[in-house]
Amino acid sequence: MITLLKNGKIYDPAHGKDGVVEDIYIHQGRIVPKPLDNAKISQTFDLAGKVVMAGAIDMHSHIGGGKVNIARMMLPEYQQQYQLKQAQELKNSSDPEAHICTPHCSHHATPSATDTGFRYIEMGYTAAFEPAISPVNARQAHLEMGDTPMIDKGGYAMLGNDDYFLRMLAAKKDQKAINDYVAWILHATQAIGIKVVNPGGINAFKFNQRRLNLDENNVHYQVSPREILQSLSKAVHDLGIAKPLHVHCNNLGAAGNFETTLNTMSASDGLPMHLTHIQFHSYGTEGDKKFSSAAAQIAEALNKHKHITADVGQILFNQTVTASGDSMMQHLNAKHANPKKSVIMDIECDAGCGVLPFKYRDQNYVNALQWAIGLEIFLSVEDPWRIFLTTDHPNGAPFTSYPHLIRLLMDKSFRNEAFAKLNLDAQAMSNLTSLEREYSLYEIAIMTRAGASKLIGLNDRGHLGVGASADITVYTDQADREAMFSKPDYVFKNGELVVRNGQVVKVVWGSTHTAKPAFDIGVEKDLKDYFDKYQTMQMDNFKISDDEISDDGRGSIVVHKQ
Amino acid sequence: MSALTFNLNQTPRHSINCSNLTPDHLAGKTADEIAAMPINYGNSRVSVGDLFEISGTDTQHIVFKNTSNKLDYIGASMSSGTITVEGNAGAYLGFNLKNGEIHCHGNTEAFAACNMVNGLLHINGNTGDFLGAGSEGLRKGMRGGTVIVKGNAGDRVGDQMRRGLILIEGNAGDYCGSRMIAGTIGVLGNLGTYTAFNMHRGTLLLKKQPQLHATIQDCGTHTLPFLSLLFKSLAKYDTQFSKFSTQRVQRFVGDAAYKGNGELLILS
Repeated sequence: MITLLKNGKIYDPAHGKDGVVEDIYIHQGRIVPKPLDNAKISQTFDLAGKVVMAGAIDMHSHIGGGKVNIARMMLPEYQQQYQLKQAQELKNSSDPEAHICTPHCSHHATPSATDTGFRYIEMGYTAAFEPAISPVNARQAHLEMGDTPMIDKGGYAMLGNDDYFLRMLAAKKDQKAINDYVAWILHATQAIGIKVVNPGGINAFKFNQRRLNLDENNVHYQVSPREILQSLSKAVHDLGIAKPLHVHCNNLGAAGNFETTLNTMSASDGLPMHLTHIQFHSYGTEGDKKFSSAAAQIAEALNKHKHITADVGQILFNQTVTASGDSMMQHLNAKHANPKKSVIMDIECDAGCGVLPFKYRDQNYVNALQWAIGLEIFLSVEDPWRIFLTTDHPNGAPFTSYPHLIRLLMDKSFRNEAFAKLNLDAQAMSNLTSLEREYSLYEIAIMTRAGASKLIGLNDRGHLGVGASADITVYTDQADREAMFSKPDYVFKNGELVVRNGQVVKVVWGSTHTAKPAFDIGVEKDLKDYFDKYQTMQMDNFKISDDEISDDGRGSIVVHKQ
Repeated sequence: MSALTFNLNQTPRHSINCSNLTPDHLAGKTADEIAAMPINYGNSRVSVGDLFEISGTDTQHIVFKNTSNKLDYIGASMSSGTITVEGNAGAYLGFNLKNGEIHCHGNTEAFAACNMVNGLLHINGNTGDFLGAGSEGLRKGMRGGTVIVKGNAGDRVGDQMRRGLILIEGNAGDYCGSRMIAGTIGVLGNLGTYTAFNMHRGTLLLKKQPQLHATIQDCGTHTLPFLSLLFKSLAKYDTQFSKFSTQRVQRFVGDAAYKGNGELLILS
């Protein structure tokens, strides 16, 4: 059975195709070369004038794990509103969603697992990656992602604040031992990358430190964030996995933190690192309010340091909830929670967790400037292959606002109109209107497809070349980019038509993407002793087997080799 | 014009969500139109006419007859008019009440006056837990208006209450005034344990001294002239509180485990 997508305008940056009119053939879930003339084409979609891109990939979105569940439970008042809306919208029982989706425990900022899958695919996203899987909590994260239909998923395991790793570092274990441990964690947690959140800081918080700078020691282990970054980025590099170390820098959200961020860029000695939600790490201390944009310095450094990639973590105005592993900084921010509630907790000495609802307001000086800083970074970083479109869902805004963000990037007058409505003091502190750049469709395709796939190492996703998995999104080219990107004409997942006119027509289940580099299993000897002595579960129960993900008949695992 | 009357024609087995049967929603509608309106009955949706016999025309005055404690959300978000419940009402009576009056001749279930903003809620019988509290997740309960209960109230009266007046002539349960932010609660009967638990501010006006926990401090006996003004201002309501004239009270302050600016005035 061959499906033909005819005459679409192809935007496929992985192959340098910028609006080329071409046909795409799909056979058994993959893109195939043009078949012989006598081959039977069973289905043809005429896409003349339509924009065709690979399915989008969200490389940083909190969609699973304990903290998301806490965020869901924390705001029952929004669930009430949301359920009312859902009940009105889901009138039609022939709607595929109505059969599997009961909108419990869901609100717009942290939708339920089912909702997450549907809302992503309706925008043409076919994969999303949970960036903060606490290893001890990985099973929960995979169970939730296993309940997320429609899209592919995967996660980054958090290290760098766990007792075992910090003990190794303090004992000056050799790099090979650390590499083996990191690889063991990748296998045990079924993750595709390694993340470090506030290196050493979450742990230092437990020893009463309230801030930790790059070269400041954790008082208990006497190791600094810089050493942690060096050790982990080396491990990730030595193991040969594609995804560079995913770094959430120290001092998130603090005025003047841009210096920490700049210093962090050089902490890996030239090894690749990805600095995540960099908007939250680009603040200066100028002006009357001692809070200013350092987007220019950050963008300049990003342009210079070719080994560094970043995603923005744009904020957009409205109610959301911030869920982070960074309990140290979330504890500082708890006083700004709106509505007034928060959860700050430790997770089995493995990591932390801080969840607080937040309402970004355009008349608030800091919020307005945060909005502008994010956009300034987007527009000042020259290479779209090294900057990614995220809102750090749900921390900056829910992922459902991506189409709005894309319009802000692609439409200068729309952006300037929005800017003109901001807090006046914030306007005076931003040079956003002087940035003339408008992103092209090709650049958007790089940021959301080709670049993301290259960064994570998804060889057969994010492009439309022969052999690629047929995850394809078809849009109508409209001047209003927000309307265009919120409602694709068609979305194909593994070659099957799953969305028509922005509505799900078929429920499918995506795969879980992992990386499993080789390592010395001897590392388990020490680990077993450690688990027996300190942990609340046995080492063998800690490890997630492949069967646990695929046993329900829906999930499957894809292992990416480099 | 006679009052618009909803006469329940059966003993309901599930909760009936009456939030649409308010003067705001029914103004200008005929009895036939009202009978055809959808209403949530348990998990299903039925027509109002399936559950009630409808008579009368005055949508500004609504009467429920032959009622049941399954009638939830009576008077929800109502902003004008009067509702009379000639019998028992269910949970969330006067939910988010914005103005107007609700009179319930019988008892109610929990969460009466939940999220109430303004207006008058009068309950002749007893009421359940969480009178004048906030709905799940909210950090503020009742924000204004007056609630009069002739019978007893359950636990957690005025939980997180922000403003307004609750007057109970019978007893109140445990945790009366818990997490109260501001406003006034009067109770003539007995109270359960942990009265004023985590109270931030506000006033509890009590006839009998309850057993108080350690973080409520005794501040001695005072003569407070403002009490005369308060009691006089209650004359417009049907309540025993308007008959008091004393200015002499024993004053307790707490909860010291929280901000500790709430006060308990025990009338002598």
